[in-house]
Amino acid sequence: MPLDTSTYILAHLRLDGRRWNELRRLQAQMSTQAAADGSSYFEMGNTKIICTVAGPQEQKSGGGGRSQQDKAKIEVEVNFAGFSGMDRKKRARSDKRTSEMQHTIASAFESTLLTHLFPHSTITLNLHILSQDGSLLAACLNAATLALVDAGIPMTDYISATTVATTASYADKEEEADPLLDLNGLEEQELPFLTIASSGGEDRVCSLVLETKVHMARLEPMISVGLDGCSQIRGILDGVIRAHGRKVLEGKVG
Amino acid sequence: MPREAEPSNNAKAFLLQALRENVRLDGRAFDEFRQIDLSFGDEYGVATARLGKTKVMVRVSSEVVKASADRKFDGVFTISTELSPIASPAFEVGRQDQAEVLLSRILEKTIRRSGALDTESLCIIAGQKCFHVRADVHVLDHDGSLVDASCLALVAALMHYRRPDFEVRGEEVQIFDPREREPIKLSMQHQPFCVTFGYYEDGSVMLLDSTLLEEQCREGEVMISMNRFGEICQIAKYSGEPVDAMSVLNCMNVALEKVKVFDKLVKAKLEEDEKRRDVGGLMAELSAENAR
Repeated sequence: MPLDTSTYILAHLRLDGRRWNELRRLQAQMSTQAAADGSSYFEMGNTKIICTVAGPQEQKSGGGGRSQQDKAKIEVEVNFAGFSGMDRKKRARSDKRTSEMQHTIASAFESTLLTHLFPHSTITLNLHILSQDGSLLAACLNAATLALVDAGIPMTDYISATTVATTASYADKEEEADPLLDLNGLEEQELPFLTIASSGGEDRVCSLVLETKVHMARLEPMISVGLDGCSQIRGILDGVIRAHGRKVLEGKVG
Repeated sequence: MPREAEPSNNAKAFLLQALRENVRLDGRAFDEFRQIDLSFGDEYGVATARLGKTKVMVRVSSEVVKASADRKFDGVFTISTELSPIASPAFEVGRQDQAEVLLSRILEKTIRRSGALDTESLCIIAGQKCFHVRADVHVLDHDGSLVDASCLALVAALMHYRRPDFEVRGEEVQIFDPREREPIKLSMQHQPFCVTFGYYEDGSVMLLDSTLLEEQCREGEVMISMNRFGEICQIAKYSGEPVDAMSVLNCMNVALEKVKVFDKLVKAKLEEDEKRRDVGGLMAELSAENAR
């Protein structure tokens, strides 16, 4: 689907009117589901996700002997709501893209959660995607961070994630190439982009996924803009968590 | 469900201690690959790659199918991966293992999504007939660096393969037997290769071409696919401890060097194979001195 991105060259404004380094509106809530051990609702522009956490709880029998017993196992399930995309289509359960996403999220949190405190147990993350409009993996990681904090599972640091694109995929347009932060669905289809997640310090990359062809000269500005975006998101997540904590202390939330 | 035996604590500690002293257990340098061996089968499109003890065979085949309705001008290209118990007792038949999903996704992103194979050239009659090129990746022996070896074998097999020639007369399509007309090479737009970095000691030690034991002990990995022009097709750093952004960028430069080596190797081996097959063309074949 060719999309006219030439207006960017003229005004340096993107399709939705943002500048290159602007994030979309982020909105988040914690403890949205009473039944879950931890839950969150996360919006990144029009990408909307509900995340619930169950656990740490006893390992289900059956999968018993398989996993390592000395630390908790993290299981992730991503569900796409039928109405989340442009057209209503059912995804197969064993879709490889989804299972890759689940693996990415699970293994990202394996490095930040203190899983060794919960031997013989499982932490299950359920991500329900209500609306997709770009930066899906990044939004999932952010939503999961909030839900895991709400569940009270000890972690070394938040994981904050975002996406970055570049306006030129080849080296010959060197001076015109701008990195763009936090893509929406249309930009994602058109431009080469990467998803970057950071935790444990300013320029520490926790996960990095790039799926489209891009020249290696473009990568450095993309990563640095991405890390900058991650630290902005980290600040927002921190604000949400502190505000929620204050409410809990004041007894407004159960 | 079977799974890979965990290395003992002593084995792990020994390996990590050695790495701290800048020694790898098999005496290689940190950025050194094991012996790379690439061989082709008698048929076109069969390639076997070996990295040390890791062995992967890829077989490319094609058939004529009906073109899909939404992609009228494109042929079909699929990659199927199989991890069978022959590779390692940890793999089971029929069960979709996490490792298998990741391997096939990485190959898919490296070769298919980056447009390495020009699928438009596989179209015979728009909307009606096209070639379906199928690559079957069989892992025969697993000793680490599966993705790197599979990618190497896959690219080599695709470059080696020749599809049958055809002729279109109005609505009629005639596919020629290889004996009737010389089969044609697939048109490749670029040759991407994958290089996996395993890291240890908080990202300060980066190893290329890890063996299985090294893979089991590592803190995390970064998989990078690129071609010799420095175009990155895919980066995947799923798991493991966070690393510095700078060291990821350094990996790119190392990966580029290695990709250039792979590229040369594949081309040299293909040339070698071509020479071996070349018996002197049709004239030599038709000579009366040949055995009947």
